[in-house]
This record gives sequence, C-alpha cells and structure tokens, in this order.
Amino acid sequence: MTFLHSRRHFIKTTAAAAGAAVCRSLSFPGRVLSAQEPLKLGYLPITDATPLLVAYELGYFAHEGLTVERPVMVRSWKILTESFLAGKFNLTHMLFPIPVWMRFKQKIPVKVLAWDHTNGSAVTVRGDSKINTFKDLGGTQVAVPSWYSMHNLIMQLGLTTQGLTPVIRPQSAALAPHEVNLFILPPPDMPAALLGRKINAFIVADPFNALAQEKFKARIMRYSGDIWKNHPCCVIVTHDRLIQHRPAMVQKAVNAIVRAQTWCKANPRETAHLLSRDGAGYLPLPETVLNRVFTPPDAEELVHPHWDVARIGFQPFPFPSATRFIVDQMKQTRVEGDTAFLADLDAGRATQQLVDDTFVRQALDEMGGLATFGHSNLEKPFTREESVEIN
Amino acid sequence: MRLGWKFELLGLLLFALAWVAVTHLFFSQPQHAHFKGFLPGPTLAALGDAFQSSRFWLSVFASLKRIIIGIFLAALMGLPLGILIGFFPLLRGLSYSAIQFVRMISPLSWMPIALLIFTTFESAVYFLIVMATICPIILNTAMGVTSINSQWIKMALNQGANNTQLIRTIVIPHSVPHMITSLRLALGVAWIVLVPAEFLGVSSGLGYLINDARDTMEYDRLMAMIIAIGILGFVLDRMFQKLQQMFSWS
Repeated sequence: MTFLHSRRHFIKTTAAAAGAAVCRSLSFPGRVLSAQEPLKLGYLPITDATPLLVAYELGYFAHEGLTVERPVMVRSWKILTESFLAGKFNLTHMLFPIPVWMRFKQKIPVKVLAWDHTNGSAVTVRGDSKINTFKDLGGTQVAVPSWYSMHNLIMQLGLTTQGLTPVIRPQSAALAPHEVNLFILPPPDMPAALLGRKINAFIVADPFNALAQEKFKARIMRYSGDIWKNHPCCVIVTHDRLIQHRPAMVQKAVNAIVRAQTWCKANPRETAHLLSRDGAGYLPLPETVLNRVFTPPDAEELVHPHWDVARIGFQPFPFPSATRFIVDQMKQTRVEGDTAFLADLDAGRATQQLVDDTFVRQALDEMGGLATFGHSNLEKPFTREESVEIN
Repeated sequence: MRLGWKFELLGLLLFALAWVAVTHLFFSQPQHAHFKGFLPGPTLAALGDAFQSSRFWLSVFASLKRIIIGIFLAALMGLPLGILIGFFPLLRGLSYSAIQFVRMISPLSWMPIALLIFTTFESAVYFLIVMATICPIILNTAMGVTSINSQWIKMALNQGANNTQLIRTIVIPHSVPHMITSLRLALGVAWIVLVPAEFLGVSSGLGYLINDARDTMEYDRLMAMIIAIGILGFVLDRMFQKLQQMFSWS
C-alpha cells in the first residue's frame, strides 16, 4: 500500500461518497463492475459471530465457489457498522435493532438475510449479589452494550413487566427504589466493572458472561433464551446492492452459513475449540471459557427448563413474528437520541422492507427444511409463536 | 544538562519501586485479587512468555512499522509546512487558527472518516497516526524557525540573499534540532493513538494484544504489553536523542 495509491483512492471514494449522499444510497459503482467480487466478512470477538467464522474455517464459502477473504475482526459495533458502510465488509452479523435503525432512521439500504444465531446472551450479577429476579434490580445500575441492542430491549422488557422504570441518568444521580439506571459500557469492560462494584448487573452477549463466571464466579441471573424462547439476537446483514447485482453470490453465502449452523448445532465442543485461541484463534479467549457458552445450562439455572433452550442456539429462518415483536418493542424501549422514526414505523411493513428471506428459504429447502433445526410446524412451517415470559 | 546514566538508572529504579508499592497497596487486597495481574511478579512472567512467542514479535514488528510509517508521512508533510509557516509571517497568521483548531481534536474522532476514505484498515491506522502527530511536528518546526537570531537574517539580506537561499542556508540548518525534537514528541503521541487505532480491523500489534488482554481479563498480559511498549518507546527515543546530539551545533 503506497501513499500515492491511497491518495488516489481518497479522491475516488470521496467522489463516490458525495454521489451516494445525493441519491441517498451507498452504492459504489466502481466496485459493482469487478468481475469477481470477494465476500468480505467483518465480525466482533463474540460468540455471536460463530456461523460466519465456522463457515469460513470449514471452507463452506469456498465450497460454494465464492472468493472469500479471512473474516476481519474489529472491536466495536460502531467500527463494524462504519466499516460496513464504507464497503470494507459486504456481509456481517449485527444485533437485530442495528439494521432496523440503519434502514429506517439512517435510510441506508440494508437487508437482513437470516438469523445468525438465537439466544446467546444473559443478565449477569456478582456471585455474592442478592439479585435473583428482575424485580430485585430496582434502584441499581445496569450496563447495556448499546442503545440499539437486543440486550437493551430485553432488559427494559424485563424491568417494565415487573413494574420498574428504566431511566437514563448520570451514575451519581439519585434513584428511586423502582427506578433502574441504564447506561452504555463496552462489553470488554463489563466484567471488570461488575467485579469493581461500579455496576450491579450487566446484560451482554457471550463470551463476556462466561468470562465473568470463569474469572470471578459471577452468577447468571437469567439467560436471555430463558426470557424469550429462542429469540433472535444477531442477524446476517448485507447491502441491497449485493442482492440486486449478485443474487447468486448472496445465495451461496447464505447456503454456507446455514450449513455452518447445522455443523455448530451438531458439534458444540469442536465449535468452541475452533473459535478459541487454542484452535483457529478467531476469538482471543481460551477454550475453557468458550466451552461454557456451547454447553447447555444446568436445569437449576433456568426458570423454564421445559423450554429446552441452548445457551447459544442456531436457527437461520427469520420468523416474521419475532421481527414484528422487536420493532414493536423498540417503540417502547428508552434510548438516548432521536427515536421519532419509530413512532410511525409499522411493524408489518418494516418486516417486509427489512427482511429478505428468499435466500434462506432456498438454502433450507436444499438442506432438509426447518426440521433440521428442530422446528416442526407441519401446517405453516415458516411461522411460530413467540414465547416471552418474565419472572 | 546531562547527569549521566547513573541518574537515569536510579530514576528507572525509583519508578519500578513506585509501581511495586502502588500495585501492592491496591491489588494485593483480597477484594482486588482478580486484578493481581498488575503486580510485578505476574507481569514479568507474562512478559517472559511473550518474548518466547512469535505472535508477540510479529506484533512488535507490526506496531513499529505503523509508528514509523505514520511518523514518516507526518514528517514528510509537517516539516516543510513548519518551515514555511515559521518563515513567512503571512502564512503563520493564516494557518494559526486552523492548526490550533485541529490540534485540540482527539485523533480518534477521525476514525469514521479514516474508515470511509481509506481502502485498507492498515492505511486507516496510518492516517490516525498522521493526524495525531502532524500538529506537534508543524508547531515545533515553526517555533524553531522563529527562534532564529534575526541578526543573521539581516546580515544575509544585506549581502543580497533571496528567500530560497535564506531558507536553505540559515533556516533549515538552524531548525534541524527543533525538527528532531518535534519528531521525538510525535513518537510519544503516536504510541498513545496506536492502542485505540488497533481497534480497527488489523490482526496484530501491541495495541491489538492489549485489547485482547482486556477482552479476556488477563491483566498480567495487559501489563506485560504496557512494559513492552515502554521499552520500545524508550529505545526509539534514545535513538532520536543520539541523532539530535549529532546535529546540535549551537
């Protein structure tokens, strides 16, 4: 990479960006024309990224005939979304509310192709904490990873159902017994903040819950899958542009991801090893921590053991009922910043515009349908009932 | 004023002693047991492990490369600009407010711009280092130029020198020590931005390893990387110092 080259590119991309700003779409004409567009995957060092990493490591993308670069790790959602917008990635995982915000607030043409995984998060408290239910969180400080996250959504759902009021205030402000102060903390800082008693609880994706369990015997107050049965968390996101210009490429990528999900489901131990620094090193964590994530929780840790949910599950089909639930829930979730775009967003219409399930249906058809993922509804195979229960 | 290596060694020993004392005071208490990685014992053990791993040396190489290329690019633009700004009062007046404006902005605020306009993550990291280091380089170089004894300039003007000759024979030679000082300052700033800059999609580097250690709560490794950066920074600064001595003709 010479300096001259990057300068030339500077001019090229600023021109492209300026053009894009005018037509309100982020298309990069120069790149569309390249004969073999490689698949560029971005990820965060969390277990949510699993299907993408496994599909790459096991050569599933290559097997489909795709040119693919090694997935690139960045360290925050902001950097991931910015890099995605800048065209550095064309396929990534994102927390479901992020594409909702991108598509309807920022008017960026993104599409959700499939669910990346289900569950995979938890509310964690100190081992010596007396917090056992959402009700016990009154008057406490709780960290969430981002305002537009499943975690913020599920946390506030839990709090409001128990009659508590989520607030967003400075940490020093006084709290009434029924109020819970929420604030943003980068996930890597959450376990240390809990250990240092700066917060009373956090809700975040694994492996940070598992890390806190492993490092200082923190306790899982509630697994997210134990609140909302097999809820979506991260979804697979791409640009509209890629769908329009390279549908075959998108189909192949989704095929590979769905195939990777079946592999992860069948081989949890191997998945943990492969991701860890003792394996292919996609995540900086040791295998022992990741094994916790890929091992089902003990029955006594669960409120709904009969739901039989995995700590992190894999199921690709984006059930519209869940998308609608998320959009409706987002309207009631407190965040910092302007949320006017949510007010007149119709959940049904939003689901249609945001989610494109044609590719994942095709992939599932080839792989034996949704039954492969333990979902059987013979009359209407692509629907389900959402089970949400807060205790 | 140089008191010699004995005092430097003593200073280093005192610093190490302060580290031992402070970390023992805080992190040897039972409620902080999980942070005991910050103590000298675990840190040095982790540093010893790191010295034996190829990943560490690759990271040292990657970070050094980023620092050197970043500062080189910043110097390529900053040194000539500094000379011109120092030499021409008009230019100085024009650029003053802009430089003061840019100087105060945390280089990390440029991150989204860096991601948008540069094709690779690596070049985005260079850009961040350039943004962080270019202002101290320009300002120090310009300051060096303005500190020239005005009698010299007058003398040269009396003998019919033009601006080009003035810059080549008086301004640049006089400013070289200041330029090297500016590079030494830039070095410190560059290391400061390197850790957050390696949040971007790069796969090696000392900042990257620090982020890894934070992600896994392995504070002995984190502290070991801090020590490694300290050692590298010290060595680099010493090299610049030697260079400065070669050019200090006053």
